[in-house]
Amino acid sequence: MRERRPLPSLSALVVAGAALYAGYRLRAALAPFVLAAAFAYVLNPAVAYFEGKGLRRAHLVVLGYVAALGLGAWASAGIKAVVVGEIDSLTVNAPTYVGKLQGLAAREESLLTGRLPVPPEVAQRAIGSAVDAGLARVQALPSQILGLVPLLLHALLVPFIGFFFLLDGPGGFDRLIQALPSRYVEQALHLAGEIDRSLGNYVRGLVIAAVVVGAVSFVGLVLLGVDNALAIAALAGATSFLPGLGAVVGAAAGGAMAVYQFGSLWAGAKVLILFGAIKLADDAFLEPLISKRAVHLHVTVYLLALIVGGEMFGFLGLVFAIPAACVLKALFGVVWAWYASETGLAAPFASEAEAVPYV
Amino acid sequence: MDALRRLTRWFVDPQFEHRKKFLGSLDLFADLSSGDLGQLARSLHARTYRPGEVVFVEGDIGRALFILESGSVELARRSPGGEPVKLYTLKPGEFFGEMALLESLPRSATATAVETSRLHLLYRTKLEALLRSQPRIGTAIMRHLARLLSARLRRVSGALTAASAAPHA
Repeated sequence: MRERRPLPSLSALVVAGAALYAGYRLRAALAPFVLAAAFAYVLNPAVAYFEGKGLRRAHLVVLGYVAALGLGAWASAGIKAVVVGEIDSLTVNAPTYVGKLQGLAAREESLLTGRLPVPPEVAQRAIGSAVDAGLARVQALPSQILGLVPLLLHALLVPFIGFFFLLDGPGGFDRLIQALPSRYVEQALHLAGEIDRSLGNYVRGLVIAAVVVGAVSFVGLVLLGVDNALAIAALAGATSFLPGLGAVVGAAAGGAMAVYQFGSLWAGAKVLILFGAIKLADDAFLEPLISKRAVHLHVTVYLLALIVGGEMFGFLGLVFAIPAACVLKALFGVVWAWYASETGLAAPFASEAEAVPYV
Repeated sequence: MDALRRLTRWFVDPQFEHRKKFLGSLDLFADLSSGDLGQLARSLHARTYRPGEVVFVEGDIGRALFILESGSVELARRSPGGEPVKLYTLKPGEFFGEMALLESLPRSATATAVETSRLHLLYRTKLEALLRSQPRIGTAIMRHLARLLSARLRRVSGALTAASAAPHA
């Protein structure tokens, strides 16, 4: 009779629950640390690659940061000029855009009023309320974007905290393994391996997708002559952390900008075609890269994770909802595998070839 | 030239080099190049066990191979009467628990550190990742394990044949 592994005690579960609750209450303070951990996790494979060549981690991380700072200082002059140019252009052209928008709305309204098979006053009221609703949404956009400013304030804090995470590397996990009772070491490694396998591919794939969507959007918008191409491309890239959203946001923002700028729906349609092509390419090439070997989530679990994450933690919750769901799925998988093997539910390997003598 | 050598020494991690050298000295990884050993070293977890600390218990589901770097580990099995029967004491450079890399089956013995022992764990998920990303390393390990299995099976078959051929007393 095999000795059963003792179950985690109730007190351990209570402590874990209390820690989760405290984490939820302190989520605002913990946000830069979570982002820094994600930042370090994404960059770690590059450090680990050179570490595998026998180089010291501390020296690699310091050199990497010095190189990034140097590159940043060198590029900052150019980037600053582009950003200032974009802001100036937006400020100068804003009245023109609004005028063109109002003219376009009035023109389309009178055209539609004449064509709709309803009394003119009914059509006018319906179109007027739709236009008002659209304008209200457009007016609310700046305040919604301003809501993301606290996240941008972490731009310096996250790499700073991430530096220490990168410096420590797997040291923290090694200390945890050393502190664990020896009987749970294999379980802990199993769990860490499963989480790393599913999460690693997903998170690194997302970063690649965000960079590619941002870069391709920028090139496409510049070729179409759309103003504020950098800002729209950055928005499309940043929102690509939520799979599939980048192209939709880019199409909405870029399309609206093109319509305002050129005063024609065709200009907006060209931007929609651009982002449609980006979405197709994303589905065909990037999505398989992201989901390759990652934990596959059912679409309902996917949506539920996004809704719960957004409800509990706002924008960050949306970004981390799917990775958190991947972790939970890996955790359930490991617990089930443990239960199945402990209770004998998992059938051992069997083959008819066993009967053949070994010669 | 001297400055370059000093710079290289400043960059190179001596502990990592020591770990690579130790792994390269093992039969299990004899076919691997220096670069492969570096990749492999990143996939291993090291843990120090105190004297008397149990590494794993007979009946536990195994999921890792253990490589003994220093100290000594005793393998023991319970007799039908429940008494522990000492099977073998491992010396530095030897490994055990390798069947866990192939199947999730209960361990057939209990492993206990006799003195302070440094062990490296190669977990099955890591081996599977190596088989995918670094097939040369993964295949070399699997080939060695297959040879080891074959050798043990031949020895057991030989012992069984000898026992069945021996005149009954």
